[in-house]
Amino acid sequence: MQKLGKQTIKFDNPISILETSSIVGPKESEGPLANFFDKCLDDEFWGEKTWEKAESKIIKETVNSSIIKSKLSVDQIDYCFAGDLLNQCISSSFGLRDLGIPFFGIFGACSTFVEALSLASVFIGSGSASNIIAATSSHFCSAEKQFRFPLELGNQRPPSSQWTVTGAGSAIVSKNRKRAIYN
Amino acid sequence: MKKINTQKEYQEYVNKKSPNSPIFKNCLNAFLVGGLICVIGQFIMEFCKFRGLSTDLSSTITSVILIFLSAFLTSLNIFNKIGKFAGAGSLVPITGFANSIVSPSIEYKSEGYIMGVGAKMFTVAGPVLVYGISTSILVGIIYLIFNMQSMV
Repeated sequence: MQKLGKQTIKFDNPISILETSSIVGPKESEGPLANFFDKCLDDEFWGEKTWEKAESKIIKETVNSSIIKSKLSVDQIDYCFAGDLLNQCISSSFGLRDLGIPFFGIFGACSTFVEALSLASVFIGSGSASNIIAATSSHFCSAEKQFRFPLELGNQRPPSSQWTVTGAGSAIVSKNRKRAIYN
Repeated sequence: MKKINTQKEYQEYVNKKSPNSPIFKNCLNAFLVGGLICVIGQFIMEFCKFRGLSTDLSSTITSVILIFLSAFLTSLNIFNKIGKFAGAGSLVPITGFANSIVSPSIEYKSEGYIMGVGAKMFTVAGPVLVYGISTSILVGIIYLIFNMQSMV
């Protein structure tokens, strides 16, 4: 591995993405990208009692589905880089706890997923790992609760206000190039 | 395109590009809904007076009923829809204040009754209470000073 310029790393061997998976909430499933998601939920709670538990379940199921799609066993995955918007990254740390894969919690707000992919690539490029999960999640309701106002508050949103995604995405980064979907 | 160098230039660029709120429509909706709430309040008040209550007691009862209605509609997930439509029309009357206390209570119930509902109930209304009460104390003191002078 070699550092070129200010923020570019050149890998000796290309790093690949083996599989990806995504689960999204009701609003995202109404959008033009709906067909590209693995699963669209019609209930923002997904049978859970709190927004945070729902988000945790979303990232857990997303990561599980990416592992199943990759046909790897859990012990073949060395590390997990994941994060979300909540305090102490609770949704990813609680959601991925049962997998028993060493977990690095990362926080980069909107950049969390790219951060996870970069860190996973550097880990694999250095020879410290063969397969790594990079994942992230967010939930509109839990983000509103944490950063903005309660949902029941009767306020108006300006037309340019942004809407936090309800959903999670997961990718398995690997040094194996033969089965890769993205090189 | 002009190159963006400073934060101020970026802010101007964003303001130019982002759509504006429909001010006329918002004002009209706020006027209609806010007026409607006031009419309901006036109706309750006149009814109380008609049944023989004093003006002071009638206005207290009117506030209590409006607060209850707002809290009740908030818990039914209806008030936020009214608020989205009416904006300041439902926020400025006492109904908005009730909503700003009930909505965090609902939202933070999942964190428990003490540290959730108890501690977070005033996250929205808290600043209004702190500065409202502080200002009223300040005004009271000023009033007292001026009154003392007039007494002397």
